[in-house]
Amino acid sequence: MAALLEIDDLQVWYGDLQALYGVSTALDEGRVLALIGANGAGKSTLLSAVCGLLEGRAEGAVRLQGAPLLGRPAEALAYEGIALVPEGRMLFPSLSVEENLRMGMLTRRAGHWTLQRVYELFPVLQEFRTRPATALSGGQQQMVAIGRALLANPRLLLCDEISLGLAPVIVRQIYESLQQVRAQGMAIVLVEQDVQRACRMADAVCCLLKGRVTLQGKADAFDHARIAQAYFGH
Amino acid sequence: MDWIETLINGALLGALYGLLGLGLALVFGVMRVVNLAHGEFIVLAAFGGTTLASLAPSVNPLLWILPVALLAFGVGYLLQATLVNRTVRSGDPLIPLLLTFGVGVVLRNLMVEVFGTDPRALDGGAFTQAGIEFLGLRVGVFPITVLFLAAAMFGGLQWLLAHTEWGRIVRATSDNARIVRLMGVRPDRVYNTVMGLALAFAAVAGMLLALRSSFNPYSGVERLLVAFEVVILGGLGSFWGAFAGGIMLGIAQLLGQKFDSNAAALYAHLLFFVILVIRPTGLAGRAS
Repeated sequence: MAALLEIDDLQVWYGDLQALYGVSTALDEGRVLALIGANGAGKSTLLSAVCGLLEGRAEGAVRLQGAPLLGRPAEALAYEGIALVPEGRMLFPSLSVEENLRMGMLTRRAGHWTLQRVYELFPVLQEFRTRPATALSGGQQQMVAIGRALLANPRLLLCDEISLGLAPVIVRQIYESLQQVRAQGMAIVLVEQDVQRACRMADAVCCLLKGRVTLQGKADAFDHARIAQAYFGH
Repeated sequence: MDWIETLINGALLGALYGLLGLGLALVFGVMRVVNLAHGEFIVLAAFGGTTLASLAPSVNPLLWILPVALLAFGVGYLLQATLVNRTVRSGDPLIPLLLTFGVGVVLRNLMVEVFGTDPRALDGGAFTQAGIEFLGLRVGVFPITVLFLAAAMFGGLQWLLAHTEWGRIVRATSDNARIVRLMGVRPDRVYNTVMGLALAFAAVAGMLLALRSSFNPYSGVERLLVAFEVVILGGLGSFWGAFAGGIMLGIAQLLGQKFDSNAAALYAHLLFFVILVIRPTGLAGRAS
């Protein structure tokens, strides 16, 4: 049986600059993949290629349950069940918290996640549902961004740097929520600079360095030194 | 009493001015595109109205407003889908500006070619001449109708944007056209609908203005200037601000007319200039 997500020999260029060099990885249903690497390693480029927001030129293959994704626009892939929690949250400032959440429901995909269940996952959002989303704290905004993605009931959830700029206590809270999301059987790709946290949650890890895969396998198969070597290249 | 009547009539004229700016405010608010052909589309709709009225003289021209507005919606949708979207994608605001300037020039010359340069007007019959007396004041029935129509259109648009799924999508697309794609939205289609709606509003304004005053193919620049002043006075992208801006311009123009009948428009432009100096972000605009 084909994996849920397959990335095969993916190469990406922005003009003359090559950002990814033959990246291959895969993710099964209900599993979590931690995509780690330093700034500029190509993690966000890889996510862009999967969700259809890539602005560069790409070669290779990205498949969702065998169906090719590369070259298809993000608006089409949303209907296929791919949702992204973008880096920096990217909430819509002129929309309230609930309006932002409802934007995730536009694809009308049926599934476990409803507005009520998102409010149960993040109770604080119900309290602030009529407030402008960008008036919330950073952590609460991240909850809105995650909730918005969940309401699309995706088959694959892509999370780009969800702990960036947040207090440790909030990060812990958000990761606990992600564990509940995972328990519903959703496949997740976690792009993180907090390597230890990402590896603790993930089933598999893939480390990128300057656009190349430097380490890949089960998350608990590598010790700290091995991951650090793959991460920094020395 | 005379002054009060002038104030009221100015406000009623201003409602029509507000309507002239509504489409321009909508397009700028959502796409950050300044449609320099807006005035020409207003005049084109007026020509459309006069043409239909001449084909069916027994039909009251007011009844043509809806068909002309629907036609304008289609024109706006196609204009956006075939031309403007290509320039919006470039990300450079100068390119759509140049494109709409070009569209305006082409439209103006096409109208000269097809309709000639003689001034025209729509005859609304007794309805546009009728007036009512109230507490010693005389106010036209047609301007009052225009005020209510304009308020309904401003209110309707505001309601659509605030309370419907379409409105939510439009506001989100205006906030971030890239991210909204992740939710399955095609920004191009949103823009097509918005341009269609903007030109439908322009068409209604054009028809109503043609029932009030004469126009020719060169009147577009004058209409665009009023629409610009309305939008900037109100605060870029603010609909109720545009409505208030239109009313202020109308009042300034009629008050100016009382002082100097040859320089009515000058007073409206002066008001625009003064408010721009005092409050550069407009009446409803937020300071950056």
